[in-house]
Amino acid sequence: MTSPPGPPAPPPLSDDLRDAVLAALGTEHAAVWSYGLVSAFVPPATTATVTAASLAHRERRDAVVALLAREGVTPPAGAAAYRPPEPVTDATSAAVLAVVAEDDVAAAWRAVAERTEADTGGELRRLALDAVTAAATTSVTWRRLAGRTPLVPAFPGDGSAT
Amino acid sequence: MGTPRRAVLRGAGAAVAGVAVVGLTGLAAGCARDEGPDELEGPLAAARADAATATAAVAAFPGLADRLTPLAEARRAHAEALAAEIRRARPDRAAAVDAAPAPAPAPASAAEAVTALSGSLGSARDAAGALALTTASYRCGLLTSVAASCAGQATVLA
Repeated sequence: MTSPPGPPAPPPLSDDLRDAVLAALGTEHAAVWSYGLVSAFVPPATTATVTAASLAHRERRDAVVALLAREGVTPPAGAAAYRPPEPVTDATSAAVLAVVAEDDVAAAWRAVAERTEADTGGELRRLALDAVTAAATTSVTWRRLAGRTPLVPAFPGDGSAT
Repeated sequence: MGTPRRAVLRGAGAAVAGVAVVGLTGLAAGCARDEGPDELEGPLAAARADAATATAAVAAFPGLADRLTPLAEARRAHAEALAAEIRRARPDRAAAVDAAPAPAPAPASAAEAVTALSGSLGSARDAAGALALTTASYRCGLLTSVAASCAGQATVLA
């Protein structure tokens, strides 16, 4: 990083890609918040899944904030609270919220992936692949609990998942 | 540096969007200089093989239908999307894409079928994920979803 005459500046994010990354960051904030609520309602057998998923979203959120900082972008903080699409009152509705949160993350990150170039977008592509993959695997638990099928979308993040 | 780079990225994005919407005759000619198989032919063959294996396993062991029928449908959908993208970008590879896949033999046992599919889904996830990092923008989105779906299907079988 310090070799003279200084590291080459990374190519700046295009406006379109920056907006997609900011949208993805927003879904990570929302997912972290959602798992806080979800954890109060789902069965103890899923505690490990909640903990791992929540940690993964926080780590990815922090990675994106760091990446944006390197680009000179100051990202907005997460909202204090979010409005679930349906009230969360029991294990089933909590699982539905978790599915929504994971699907939102997958969709936002696929949109990032589609806006990257192979030569400059390596880090974002890796983050996107990890994010969409984790969403597809984690949401199996929540789709099962919510009674949703199929348990795995054919194209996670393409907007057609339920 | 900054402004030209942004302009390039915008141009590329617009080209991809245009292609997706119109279906593209012009670009196909541009891609015709490519030689050898399309990079998506491997993932396509893997998707078709998984769909055939899962379908044969359900036929032999109907108790697997709950787990393997959705898997077969997802892998068939992957194959269709991958084949469509190859046909779009590489009309010269249509013969390879349209070749009938070999039928899968019936597995010896239900457990053997599940083990084989777990392994092939893991390989498909890794292969699609690796290709997603190096390919063109539109394909990156498709391959990211395919890799994620394979990972999810493997979770269901675990």
